[in-house]
Amino acid sequence: MRPIFRVAKATFHEGWRRRFLNGILIFAILIIGSSWVFTYLQPGAELKMLIDVGLGSIRFFGMLIAVFLGTRLIPDEIEKRTIYTLLSKPVTRMQFLLGKFLGGLATVISNVALMGITFYIVFAIKAPQFAVPSAEGAPQYSMEFMYANVAKAILLSFFELAVVMGIAVVASVVFSWILAAIFTFFVYFVGQMSDFFGHLADPDAGASPVARVLLGAIYRILPHFDVFDVRESILTDIPVVWPYMAQTMGVAVVYIGIVLALGYLFFNQREV
Amino acid sequence: MSQLTKTIVAWVLLIGLFLGVQPLSDALARERLIRGYARPTQVTKILQYDAPAMTGVIVGAMLGGFREVAASMLWMRTHSMWHSGEGTQWDALYLMRMTTLLDPHWLEPWRITAWHCAYNLYVETDDPAEKARMLQLGVDVLKEGISWNPDRYDLYFELGWTYFDKIRDYDEAARWLGAAIRFEHPEYVERLIAHGYERLPDIPMALQWYDYCLKRRPSDETAKGATITIRERYLPAWRLMEERRFDEAIAAVDQYLTNNPQSTIGLHLKAHIYEQAGQFAKAREQWQLAADTSALNHHARYKVSELSERMGLPVPEDATYLFKQQQEEMAIFRPVD
Repeated sequence: MRPIFRVAKATFHEGWRRRFLNGILIFAILIIGSSWVFTYLQPGAELKMLIDVGLGSIRFFGMLIAVFLGTRLIPDEIEKRTIYTLLSKPVTRMQFLLGKFLGGLATVISNVALMGITFYIVFAIKAPQFAVPSAEGAPQYSMEFMYANVAKAILLSFFELAVVMGIAVVASVVFSWILAAIFTFFVYFVGQMSDFFGHLADPDAGASPVARVLLGAIYRILPHFDVFDVRESILTDIPVVWPYMAQTMGVAVVYIGIVLALGYLFFNQREV
Repeated sequence: MSQLTKTIVAWVLLIGLFLGVQPLSDALARERLIRGYARPTQVTKILQYDAPAMTGVIVGAMLGGFREVAASMLWMRTHSMWHSGEGTQWDALYLMRMTTLLDPHWLEPWRITAWHCAYNLYVETDDPAEKARMLQLGVDVLKEGISWNPDRYDLYFELGWTYFDKIRDYDEAARWLGAAIRFEHPEYVERLIAHGYERLPDIPMALQWYDYCLKRRPSDETAKGATITIRERYLPAWRLMEERRFDEAIAAVDQYLTNNPQSTIGLHLKAHIYEQAGQFAKAREQWQLAADTSALNHHARYKVSELSERMGLPVPEDATYLFKQQQEEMAIFRPVD
């Protein structure tokens, strides 16, 4: 365990020293901090806009950080040849891979936590001003539910980004970092639409047998990133329940297990 | 542990986890739909190979959290197209549809898109079938909007108003306006329902709704005045009709129509009495008279077409009539629960 922790710790510090990631983080915090400015675009739907822009930015910029950090972690060690020093010590390839993943994940989580805190502050100040009264005279959106739901949405983003990070790290073992970044973006965007692929693969949808098999395979193999998006429930004031949270987090953990097992298999066979 | 064993363990783990995650993922997808964390509407549109829906979903997924900003930009573009003048009506519709797909919880695009179809595109064509299609499109847009926003007042009212003002289907109008008043609403909505029943005509229902208005707001002078007018002018004729004393009922309406020969409610009531008496030719004649007095009286025009069909006469092509026929056909094919 100690080698994993040491690699993770070094990766975490290294992650925070990467200037382009700091740049993304600062830009993201600026966007999230000023998310209420965008509300003027939709008069009458300010609260919805605030939530969408804020939470959407956390997911989007978190994904950018996870992809760009994850795809650079191992290739940089290979390029700088520091990997030889590390692997010649009593650090196995599995420990190295896990350490890199966990260190990168800690960086992403700390970044997302900062974005989340910024959004929470903006939300706590602005949301009560935007609440619309409903039929019964009570606020259209119950603020207690919303505060809890927003926190849960951010928590689910952590797990979503952990899966993205895992895919990015593993892809960088197989491809060059730029190709790995493109691959991870592709998986993320297609994963966002997994629900639609699932429906299109249905025999009733009328797609050709070849298309059905292809769409079905995409649906089965790629992670379903849309399950981490609960903005709909926040907007419609439906509480995000813990059993759903636990189930979603469980699925994320299983996917992380899958990508790390794949990563181990590829990394083990790779000449460094 | 040897290298080979580690590889075998990794493969076993990989396959095991992959197989294990499938039922979990399926259960999660179901759970999302049941709990209302996701809506299946767009999928339905995709299955119909609706091109804008397809693009909307893909662009929406790529934009992630910035869908709403993109929707706002599209909406501004729609505005500039609108102000640029004629010839952009259909292009504007495409952009409007995209906006509703990108941000289905923004109510304004749903309202304006439906209005654009039922009012603007409706007058762009002279073909009654095409006009009926535009009405259908307007209604469909609002119903889809309601499916995304069932807890908001605006779209229920908008659909009720479209039925009341444009299609002049007062029964459907009462249904949707009735749904709207479950939420906080302006006081005129209840009067609108009563007024719809007056024009249908269903005098007891109209009185019942005005009575409801007065119970909620005893100071409602409009409802008070309308109640007095109905009781004086139309209720006696309606009661006589119910007693099947049709000639006396007609005479009672005529008493009022002599002074106001173009009274919509009076003409509708007279036509309705003829219908109840089984005198369809005279009823048709009255509905035609009502239709001729107002270009916007689509209800009277619909009744003319309906009675013509019943009497085996050539049916005048009317958009509202075609629209309602479509609705009936759809109702026939609606699955029974």
